[in-house]
Amino acid sequence: MGVEGKSYPAVSAVIDPERVADFARAIGADPEDGVPPTFAAVYSLGATAPYLFGDPEAAVDFAKLLHADQEFEWERHPELGETVTSQGRVVSDIRRRGMRFVTFEAQTTGVDGSGICRSRTLFVIRS
Amino acid sequence: MKRAERAVTFTVEQIADYAEASGDHNPIHLDGDFARSVGLPGIIAHGMLQMGVLATVAAEAAGGGRRLRRLYCRFAGMVEPGDTVTFAADVTEPGKLSLSAVNQRGEPVLTKASAEYL
Repeated sequence: MGVEGKSYPAVSAVIDPERVADFARAIGADPEDGVPPTFAAVYSLGATAPYLFGDPEAAVDFAKLLHADQEFEWERHPELGETVTSQGRVVSDIRRRGMRFVTFEAQTTGVDGSGICRSRTLFVIRS
Repeated sequence: MKRAERAVTFTVEQIADYAEASGDHNPIHLDGDFARSVGLPGIIAHGMLQMGVLATVAAEAAGGGRRLRRLYCRFAGMVEPGDTVTFAADVTEPGKLSLSAVNQRGEPVLTKASAEYL
């Protein structure tokens, strides 16, 4: 039901060294250690989720949205300055006990198509 | 058994810095009046900020962030400015970490948290 199975446009982004350093400092990591693993929240989930939130067909009420869980799986971590491409997809969209459960997946690859990261998110939308 | 641990007291400034660096400007993390209008006690930390600190502690136990191959957690409790959360990572068997994040009242804020590394 809902937008289950719907895919959104792929989006490319450069892993910006300055933004990576700001991100590392904000989570208390050492910027010298390179791209923090959860920078995937920016290049994978963050790059793709706006398509879901902005999709009138998906009709996600942002004010009632909860990020319920998160999984990242990496084949490798991106390099500073690398261009990566991410694409989001709704894996499932279920209503239960008056709430809506949307599982959203994003796949991130390098310019050669090699796998980098899979992000899988459960969003709960309260009614 | 190898263990890494870190206690972090979250601040309004750190939450704002994370919003800026991550691009997640949801007003529940930045605007107390808005947060209260949607039934929250006030501004709360991003779940992904908590997970970011958890990953940093996991990376320490794994011998480096680039070695992480999987990371999972559930966002089980709200974290407000002033809350102190203790993040811990324990190597349970080679390549596997059990992770936890518990606030100053002993309540888990991230649950079912685990990681795998090479």
